Order: sequence, then structure tokens, then C-alpha cells
Amino acid sequence: LPAGLSQWFPALEVLDVSGTGLAELGAELLALPRLHTLLAKNNRLGGPGSLPKGLGQAPLGRSLRVLNLSGNRFAEVPPALLGLRGLQSLSLGGNRLHGIPPDIQELRSLEFLYLGGNFITSIPPELANLPSLSYLVLCDNKIQSIPPQLAQLHSLRSLSLHNNLLTYLPREILNLVHLEELSLRGNPLVVRFVRDLTYNPPSLQELAGRTIKTRSVPYAPSDLPENLVRYLSLASNCPNPKCGGVYFDSCVRQIKFVDFCGKYRIPLMHYLCSPECSSPCSSASQSSTSQSESDSEDEASVAARRMQKVLLG
Amino acid sequence: MEQPVQTETWKAQSLEELIRTLHRVFAEDKVSVEEVQELMESYESSPEEWLQYAKFDQYRYTRNLVDNGNGKFNLMILCWGEGHGSSIHDHTDSHCFMKILQGNLKETLFEWPEKKGNGEMIKKSERVLRENQCAYINDSIGLHRVENISHTESAVSLHLYSPPFDSCNTFDQRTGHKHKVKMTFYSQFGERTLC
Repeated sequence: LPAGLSQWFPALEVLDVSGTGLAELGAELLALPRLHTLLAKNNRLGGPGSLPKGLGQAPLGRSLRVLNLSGNRFAEVPPALLGLRGLQSLSLGGNRLHGIPPDIQELRSLEFLYLGGNFITSIPPELANLPSLSYLVLCDNKIQSIPPQLAQLHSLRSLSLHNNLLTYLPREILNLVHLEELSLRGNPLVVRFVRDLTYNPPSLQELAGRTIKTRSVPYAPSDLPENLVRYLSLASNCPNPKCGGVYFDSCVRQIKFVDFCGKYRIPLMHYLCSPECSSPCSSASQSSTSQSESDSEDEASVAARRMQKVLLG
Repeated sequence: MEQPVQTETWKAQSLEELIRTLHRVFAEDKVSVEEVQELMESYESSPEEWLQYAKFDQYRYTRNLVDNGNGKFNLMILCWGEGHGSSIHDHTDSHCFMKILQGNLKETLFEWPEKKGNGEMIKKSERVLRENQCAYINDSIGLHRVENISHTESAVSLHLYSPPFDSCNTFDQRTGHKHKVKMTFYSQFGERTLC
């Protein structure tokens, strides 16, 4: 790009340099104080120095709202752009990303994040710290699981997860009450009720902790060593509403099915305090299968109805 | 020597001419699928002629009504952002023509599921449609999913449905279960419709 760019066109608001073969966006862009949209798709960006140094502090860094770097050769999210606190829309679709840096949470104003068509294998929970994120595209990657923290993205309206390696979803996904679009096709989602057979029995410490909590055995901080007081405070409630149990580290991961809005069955990961924990009436594993399936459907269908219109593809 | 019989081939030089010709074609008692497909394919997409109808939504693809064909057909423009796709759907006993105006769309054909539907749906074929190509489907051919698989380019397509319909069934690929949905327009005749 010509060196005098910011002097000749100081009022420039939109710049499209897509398909021009650029290998780097240089410092000549930094002094454009009105530039809010920069489109640089289908270029040769991706090496070190692809983005100008000091981007976050420059006038451009404060004005930029939309940045499209899709169809380039980025193997990692360029650190230079993490300083763009005003950025609302970022596309890095069709690059060579293998992961998402936790510092993505620095993009405080981000509403639209397109990361489809990369080689991403996992999602950092820090992604959930983006308070305004409403559109998240992660399709066509190699993602094996979704962190439950993603349910904290209260503004999320559309989540694209198709063509990944997901076998289940965290049940917290039902908390995304504003979600209107969820694409899941092309994932090896488990269709039948699956019991995780690798249940590790709880330790004696865990069993003792559970007893104290469920029987409300009174204790004062002076009664116990500090580490055990802290341990007792970490008890999690069994998600089965009919079970008053708690668990600490030992839990059974069960894939339970939820009829999403009466249409599709999605496997959700439940953490139960033991394989026997399904309903007060169940005893044998056969009866507990169908009983716990309908139990999970009860509580889950209430939550699912809260999700209003979810279009699944 | 006998003169070979010339069948009229329609060619549309502009979107307006395409619409006028479609009105003439559909005013007849009999309409040939091949003729309509050829006619649609003959129109060379010219963005300034359809840009007013091409309204994009950042979250999903949009349906924008262009012409309601005197009740004989609906002509609409669909706008697909990067990664946008449809569910697997049928066509409620109507003819469906789909012409690419810009970009590319992947069409995946599926067999109809068994009555109860309790297994993964069977893929028949898939292809990527290029600019100006026109595809045709109806319920006897099968079901399809249409998607813009590009992560860098948006796509625009021109659809003709005859007779017009406003509801269809969507299908879960993993189980074949179907669900009736109502279809709405994002805009009509270039004006955004609020729903």
C-alpha cells in the first residue's frame, strides 16, 4: 500500500484490498483515524508482520469496527489485533488456525466472530468472556468438545458448529436463552443413550464429604484442617433435581438425550453423582434407563422451551 | 427436403425480460421443465439488475420475493452469507428451479426417509453449482440441502417455485424425523418485511 495513504485520504472509512496478493498490511494504515471497515480477504497474509506493530494504540486501532482477514494463511490469531478494543466484527474464516488464544477475551466489543474453515481442535473457556458476542461461527473445524462456560455468552443468538468432531454437547447449552440458530450437522453425535462405563468409584474423602453435606452434619472451621474446610465448600449439586446428592471430583458422565423443542434429539452431557442416581424409584439398571431418560427430558424440555425458536440444521 | 422443425428457445437478456418471459410461459396450460430451466440458465446474471432485492442477514440466509407470477409461481432471490445453509427440506409437491446469480452453492440430494424414520438419512449425491447454472428439483426426485460452503464469499441465488408454497417439511439428517415449517420472506419486491 502506498506510504502516503493516510495523508491523501484522511477521511477514508472503508478500505477493501481483498484479492490483491498482499503479504502484509503496513504502517501506512495506522494513521487513518476514520477507517472503520478493513476488508483484506484472499491475500497472502499470515507471516510475522502481517499486521502493523502498535495497531491497538494507533488511531486506526480506535476506529476499526470490522476486520475481515478470511482466506489468508494465518496459522495463529495475530497478537497485534488483540488490542482492538472497539472491534465489533472479526473474520478469520478459511485460514490455517489450530487454536484460539485465551487473550481473545481482550476484544471486549466483539459481536461477530467467524472462525469457520480452520483446523481448530478446542475452544478456550475465555471465549465466554466476550460480553457482546451474538454470532459465533466455528463450523468446518476439528473441535471435539465445547467448554460448558460457553453458556455464559448470554447475548449469543447464533452458534454454528456443523462439520466438527463433537459427540455431545454440555447440558449448559440450554442456558443460552437468546439462541435462535444452532447448526450441528456433520458431527458424530451419539444417537443412542450411552452410559459411560469408566466410572471411578469415589475416594473415602469424597464419601465422607458427601455424607457431611447431605446429612447437614454441622461443622465449624475450627473443627477441621483448612484444606478440608475448603474441600467441603467445593461440593457441586447433582444436576438431577430429584436427587439431593452432591459430588466433589467423582461423577459419572452420562450422555442424556433432550428433545430440543420437540424436534431433534441432542446428546447432552450430564454429571450425576453416581450411576444409580437417576430417579428415586429406579433400582435395576434396565428400568433406570427409560426412567432417567424421561426424567432428563422433563427438566430439559422445560429449559428447552425457554430457548424459544431454535433452528437446527 | 423437409425443413427440420425449430423449437423456440427462449433467451432472457435481462432480469426484467426473464420475468416477462416467465409470465408468458406460465400463462400456457402446459409448461415444460426443460424450457424453464433453459430460460433461467440463459439469463446472464447482472448484479445491478437484482441488487435491490439482495438483502443479507448476518445470522442466516434470506428469502426475498421478486415477483409473484400472477399466482402461478413465486420468483425470489436468496442471499447466503459465508457458511449459511438450509436444513434438508422437501418442496410440497411443487417444481423448484434454482439459479446461481453470484458465488457458489453446494446442493446435497437425499433419499426420502422410511415411513417412521429411525436411521441416518441416505445421501444420494452432491454437487457445487457455479454462477449462472440452474438446478431443478421436485419431491419425486428427492430432498435436498443447499449451503454456501465458502468462508470468504457470499452467494446469491434466484429461485422459482411453481405452484407457490409457504410451508414445507424439514428433516433431521441423523434420524429422518420431519417437521413442518412455515416459510417467510425477509423482503418483498425490494422492501424489507417485518415479521
